[in-house]
Amino acid sequence: MLNFFRFVRRFFNLILFIALEALCLVLIARTNTIQGNDLLSSSNAITGFLYQRQSALVYYFNLGTVNDSLLRENAHLRNQLAQLRFSVDTLHDSTALRALPGDSSLKLQYARYTYRQARVINNSVALRNNYITLNRGSEEGIRKGMAVISGTGVVGKVVHVSRHFATVLSVLSSLQTVSAQLPDGTTGQVSWLNGDAPTRPDVLYMPDVPGQIPLHRGNIVRTTTYSFFPPEVPVGVVDSVLIVKKTGKRLLYLKPATNFRNLRYVYVVENSYTTEQKALEARNGSELIKPKTRR
Amino acid sequence: MSIQLKNFLRFWLIIAVQILLSKLTLRWWSEPSGFPVFVPLIYPLFILLLPFETPVWLALILGAVTGFTMDALMNTGGMHAAACILIAYLRPNVLAALLPRAFEDYPGQSPSVKNLGWPAFLTYAGFLILLHHAVFFSIEMWSFSNMLLLLLKIAASALTTILFVVGYLLLFTRQVATHGLSR
Repeated sequence: MLNFFRFVRRFFNLILFIALEALCLVLIARTNTIQGNDLLSSSNAITGFLYQRQSALVYYFNLGTVNDSLLRENAHLRNQLAQLRFSVDTLHDSTALRALPGDSSLKLQYARYTYRQARVINNSVALRNNYITLNRGSEEGIRKGMAVISGTGVVGKVVHVSRHFATVLSVLSSLQTVSAQLPDGTTGQVSWLNGDAPTRPDVLYMPDVPGQIPLHRGNIVRTTTYSFFPPEVPVGVVDSVLIVKKTGKRLLYLKPATNFRNLRYVYVVENSYTTEQKALEARNGSELIKPKTRR
Repeated sequence: MSIQLKNFLRFWLIIAVQILLSKLTLRWWSEPSGFPVFVPLIYPLFILLLPFETPVWLALILGAVTGFTMDALMNTGGMHAAACILIAYLRPNVLAALLPRAFEDYPGQSPSVKNLGWPAFLTYAGFLILLHHAVFFSIEMWSFSNMLLLLLKIAASALTTILFVVGYLLLFTRQVATHGLSR
């Protein structure tokens, strides 16, 4: 402190000089002339630069919060999109069906999807059956059997639900395959296993693709309407093709659309008509029972 | 007459003359578009003629007061003050370089022809006035794109100012000299 006072006393004249000159500059800047405008605008440029740096720094620390809010927004938008798709489909079909009078019984019921965002709190890619743990559970409306997708592609299926957590059976497992279609509409099954070949989290297989279908590297394989996933969600990208000599069919090597290694945020998709569809489909086969014999 | 009162009166005299000069439009020759209009700025003379013993902080404050007075009268923000404070800060260094002896050897005296001699005094006054004008006109024009005009303005204005300073010295030196002799 004493040194500080000594410093001030020693350089008092210089400090006073600089202070007075600064005062002059401020006064010049405050006049509405060329000088004033120039000084003010250059100081604005400097403060603007500083503000930019500061906001970049603060932005970094806020990234987590920003990410969460963006995710909420995304889920909201996806919900809106699903609703719009639903109403557009209904409109489309109702105008098409209007040509057939009195055929309202033919009206189709479309799947309707609800998206909930969730954070991945545990993840594995090294096992034979990989599971992902989410930070949402039955309290937030997660149910067993719901589809889980990421922003870029499919992830898996909810298999167990507790009050606050849910575990997801990843696509990277021997227990499930995904119904998928190529760009031209050819459907098939995408799986993680290829016989006894070692599993890698970067490769999915799509076996038994007919030989005559035009295929290119980079074609996107998407989910079909048949699976529990919402349609048109990317599964993977065609990376290479292997022709199986014995059958003449092709085996596709896909690069997964989702990067399972650093999966952080996912959406849990609820199909509100699943139970109805399941209940209806469970009755399939009952028509084989012979009707009562006529008297 | 005490030193303080003398300097106080000198301040108002110089300010009054400066205001009168500012109202006149001086031209070196009467070609309307040939030469820039300029105003001799003689108020730095007040700072130049402060007593040797004036501490720097007081000189700075007096420079600021003079400058802001001119700014208020000429409506120029802080341009006069900026130039004036600069010469007030540099004054003791220039004087120390020109004086043969230390400041303490001239008690109660101001820089004048008597104790500095004509060449030294004109060097002292000329250098600081030129510096003052250079700073002031640079701030006033606010660009170095028209260097020639800037230099012309500085030179013309500083020359006229120095003429007025010489006139002031011729008018008032005797008084200062008798005052100095009576001590």
